[in-house]
Amino acid sequence: MKRLLCTALSVLLALSMTAGLPGAQADAAGGFQPRLDTDTECEITVIGSYSNFEALEAEFDSFNEFYPDVELNYVKPDDYNNLLGTVLEGKNAPNIFFAFPWMIGNEKYESVMAHMEDLSDAGLGLDLECIRPSLLNYDAQGKLSMVPIFARNYGMLVNNDLFKKEGLSVPGTWDELLDVCETFRSRGYDSPMMGYSKDSSGCLMNILVYPEVLAAVNGNPEALKAANEMAPEGGACMRGGLEAMMQLIENGYIDLEKCGEISDNYTEVILRFFEGDVPMMICGGDTVSGTGKRESQSAAFSKAPFTYSFCPVPLSEAGGYFVDSPSVEFAVNRDCEDLDMTNEFMRFLISREELNKMASVKRLVTPTTDLSFDAVYEPFGQVPTERVLSPEVIGITDPLAVQVRNASFLVGTGEISIDEAVSDYGAFTD
Amino acid sequence: MSRMRTSWIIVANIAVMAAILVFVALYSNHEKKEHYHNQVEHFVNTTIAMERVTGNYMVGEQGICDNWAKYINSRDLTLEEATDYVRATHVSESTSAHLIDAESLKGYSTRPRPNTEDGYEVSYERMDLFGDGAWIADLGEAVNITRTYTNPVNGEQSLAFCNRITVRDEESGEKKQAYLLRIVPVSNLEEKWVFPQEEYEHEEFSIIDNESNYVIKGRSFKNASFFEFYKSYNQPGIAEQQQLFADILSGTGSFTMQDSKSRECLVAHTPITSTKGWVLLSLAPVSDLKAVAENWLLIGVITFGLLLLLVMDFLYMQAINQKLQVTAREADAANKAKTDFLSTMSHDIRTPMNAIIGLTTIAEKKPDDKEAIAENLRKIRLASNHLLTLINDILDISKVESGKLNLSPVTFSIVETVQNLMNLSQPMIKEKNIDFNIRVNRMEKEYLYADQLRLNQIYINILSNAIKYTMPGGSVSVDLQEEESEKEGCVKLVYRVADTGMGMSPEFLEKMYQPFSRQTDSRVNSIQGTGLGLAITRQMVDLMEGTIECQSEVEKGTTFTITLDLPVAEKQLEEMKIEGVEVLLADDDPILLETAADTLDSLGIRADQARGGLEALEMTRQRHESGKDYDVVMLDLKMPDLDGIGTVRRIRAEVSADIPILLTSAYDWSDIEDTAKEAGVNGFIGKPLFRSRLYEKISELLGTEAKALEAEDDHSDLAGMHILIAEDNDINWEIISAMLGMYGITSERAENGRICVEKMAAAEEGQYDLIFMDIQMPEMNGLDATRNIRALENPWAAGIPIIAMTADAFSENVAECLKAGMNGHIAKPIDLKLVIKEIRRVKEEKKK
Repeated sequence: MKRLLCTALSVLLALSMTAGLPGAQADAAGGFQPRLDTDTECEITVIGSYSNFEALEAEFDSFNEFYPDVELNYVKPDDYNNLLGTVLEGKNAPNIFFAFPWMIGNEKYESVMAHMEDLSDAGLGLDLECIRPSLLNYDAQGKLSMVPIFARNYGMLVNNDLFKKEGLSVPGTWDELLDVCETFRSRGYDSPMMGYSKDSSGCLMNILVYPEVLAAVNGNPEALKAANEMAPEGGACMRGGLEAMMQLIENGYIDLEKCGEISDNYTEVILRFFEGDVPMMICGGDTVSGTGKRESQSAAFSKAPFTYSFCPVPLSEAGGYFVDSPSVEFAVNRDCEDLDMTNEFMRFLISREELNKMASVKRLVTPTTDLSFDAVYEPFGQVPTERVLSPEVIGITDPLAVQVRNASFLVGTGEISIDEAVSDYGAFTD
Repeated sequence: MSRMRTSWIIVANIAVMAAILVFVALYSNHEKKEHYHNQVEHFVNTTIAMERVTGNYMVGEQGICDNWAKYINSRDLTLEEATDYVRATHVSESTSAHLIDAESLKGYSTRPRPNTEDGYEVSYERMDLFGDGAWIADLGEAVNITRTYTNPVNGEQSLAFCNRITVRDEESGEKKQAYLLRIVPVSNLEEKWVFPQEEYEHEEFSIIDNESNYVIKGRSFKNASFFEFYKSYNQPGIAEQQQLFADILSGTGSFTMQDSKSRECLVAHTPITSTKGWVLLSLAPVSDLKAVAENWLLIGVITFGLLLLLVMDFLYMQAINQKLQVTAREADAANKAKTDFLSTMSHDIRTPMNAIIGLTTIAEKKPDDKEAIAENLRKIRLASNHLLTLINDILDISKVESGKLNLSPVTFSIVETVQNLMNLSQPMIKEKNIDFNIRVNRMEKEYLYADQLRLNQIYINILSNAIKYTMPGGSVSVDLQEEESEKEGCVKLVYRVADTGMGMSPEFLEKMYQPFSRQTDSRVNSIQGTGLGLAITRQMVDLMEGTIECQSEVEKGTTFTITLDLPVAEKQLEEMKIEGVEVLLADDDPILLETAADTLDSLGIRADQARGGLEALEMTRQRHESGKDYDVVMLDLKMPDLDGIGTVRRIRAEVSADIPILLTSAYDWSDIEDTAKEAGVNGFIGKPLFRSRLYEKISELLGTEAKALEAEDDHSDLAGMHILIAEDNDINWEIISAMLGMYGITSERAENGRICVEKMAAAEEGQYDLIFMDIQMPEMNGLDATRNIRALENPWAAGIPIIAMTADAFSENVAECLKAGMNGHIAKPIDLKLVIKEIRRVKEEKKK
């Protein structure tokens, strides 16, 4: 209630302030209008965990059309999650940095959180209304430390041409999935479903199980509380997902041996899918973002291109879930040099147009309300509202996600049983 | 045909213009490419130079690291002790060093963590920086440098120069391997690597490792890997792409690519030889390297210039063509006029020649009929004079047309000029029986400096035309007036001749100054003329910077007004004043009375005016009866009530026989001279009444009256003179000697100039009174002969008067003669009156 009140107040404040600002009027008239001296010379550095961030670099170029003398750089520090605090304390501290919801409340990131500017400040002029409210993480004081740049979801890449060739439809329910897998198997496809399985980060197991866990605790405060608090009974929420996963593996619809040949959870997953013989490739939205660029890098795909899309994995009779969660969020280092210009860049970036543009370039789900997806994401657009789950809205904490990730990986690889996973809940670590 | 040729010229011009433009475009394009090629070469060379700087820097940094490693390896130090040593020898504030256990990947930093004093521990466990360590060469063998990584102590993006070192395990005492890292923040390096050239202000550089990951990343370089960057914005074939990447990693060169802003950029690459596979990349927008000046401007300016030239040439050609057409038409007309003229001349020359030959033949047949012979000779003389005029005009117009008509100014008397004018026109006036008046107003400056011959020619031409085209019973009046000139040292002479002749049509007025044109009229078929007079007159007036105006109306008459500004000669008559003298002036012309009274007033003479003979008689009588006679009475010859001679007779009979009386007339008085003298006239004075002439005559009358009555034709005083005549032509010699003989003058011939000089050199003083010198003679011409005579030692011989007698009749010929030292000039054919006049002048000067 308090959060809602703060949000409402913030929105009202933002509306009242921007109504009197010439820049806001100009914004309303369409397009970004600079508020600072366009001849300003300074340097803005963004750091993050992406190796490449072309979509952001394209935004740098766009921003330079207004402020040609502002030099913007994107840098990926080594061991980002561990060294972020050190980097923020260092001599060349960045202006903007990647932030993640799991940092909130994590003691290890207290110093990092201390550097974050309150982005709910209406004076900054960020267009927060364009972002889906479920993706904005206000704290108890109404402070918004980070804003989502991309959203994350979980699903599978589907080779539409292969389905068409085999006369099959993309499955929408659990039974349909089993039928499709069986048919593919019978037609010589050794592993109708594949995915990364070498370690827990980005593994297919978590992608299959996590949405089911969210569904299990959604609307069940007790189960959610137990799971968040690492109580032993909290592990029960994993059972449904784990069982479905194991059924797929045990039926031979997911050949872990073949999946083990995929050496990383990003490029190799994509290139393997582009080989053209995998009907369904289980992966996260982050991986899908790399598909467009790698089409030309894949000799097989270049030789025999096909159409593909990204769909929810239907592990229940009612179908799959759309887990709407922030993938990457931006925080502003309030102690950085040139804070005014940094906020000006954020004002430029946090707008429906720029966020959508960046999502389109990156091929990720936009955090804005219009959900104008890439054609690849079209199936997610058809997911009914009641099956859209937001971990932040539900109240999922990072430790819960860690337990699910590690438990599902261990179960999937056969190291532990489902019962062990449920009973040992709270004991799993990365 | 002409239009077709013009079209071809235009086409040719456009073709040449197009060729020039194509050449300029090709040449500028070639220059642009050449410039770009040179720029690329220069850019690559700059990159190579940067690589050397980079290499030297790295070798230096590696050297420091090597020295540390050598020392550590030579001592038995634990990792912590080794760290203490490096910390102690590490001076630079901006760099640091890490010593890391090769097995645990943990160790120590020489600098503490920010905001701590003892946070020296450091871990590389989570960084894939060392791998198996095999890439680190043995000590001193190579530069061992890491990729850009995040310094785990301070979070700065850094590079590290590495060595493997051996340290002692603190617990076991065993030797173990460790890594020594000399860490340099990338920001330090970026500050050092700046392109030195000003022209490369938009250029950037990066360093990539052998996997194309950026070690140092320029602003325009995108992605984490250069090859990824290239692939993101450029789509070559896979084979080409792989070849390009191989080239970049293996050698020096350049290529172009699109950057993230879709700009075409030149990228130069060269391996950093001191590293294992690093490459230095320089990037510059191609637009910065291309020629600054856009050649379209040059082409545009040239195009505009050539088009302008084409249009101007075309317009100029059109104008020239039009002029040529006009000139051609004029030339055709002139040719036709000349042909007509030659035809006319042929007729006009043959006519007097026919008269001369025919009359001569008649005279030869009647040797005994003196009366007939005299009449024939008179007619022959008339025909000859006409022929001479014709020839003179032809010669003049030929000079005018060739632009060789020059002025030869001399000091002359305007009085004499007008007198000459009167003398020359008298016979015609007399012959045609026309009323003639001449008025001169206030001619204060008698001596002027101008070409007298040409002035005479102008005045005579106008006057003779007026007389010629005025029918018997008509009138001709001449007004000569001196006015103040705007030109300094000049007087303005206004010469106006008005006649009541046949006049001219407006059409003829437009072309009357063109040569060979004559007014065609049935009444003047008999009028002899060359059609050149007005053309010559106009040219001469123009030459003397004067104006000529004409007003004419058919059947009513013509008025010519000529205005000339003539310089006043330095020589002027002395102050002429006759104070206390009273004169009676009688004339029926009121204007003449006014002007003459004015002139007399300027001499100090009071003049009473009488409008006729009877009034003059009465006024003379009244003065006589009052006991105060007029000092002089001046009577016009022709007056309506009582003419001059009649008035004289009555004065002499009724008033006084002693009053001095002068007869004035614009006509030749030779016919009435005897009658006048018998009537009691004391002297004659010709009109116009010049101030000087009036002064002379009145002075004479008031002095010795006898002198005034001297017969002007009495040349007896010339008898006995002896003249040397230099003449090579026998007939001419015969004529002149015979003519002189008529006056009792003896002559002696010199056949050429040389003989003349010899005769003078040998002559006794006073042997000859003067020399008549022909100009064109064999052996020595007249001019040289004159110069030689003037150079003789004998003063008498050297100073003897020499008069040119030559057919070279132009003004410049006269000037040339005077310049050679001659005293006068007589043109052939000779006019006996002029000859006698010259002889008399010489004689009188000799007396003085």
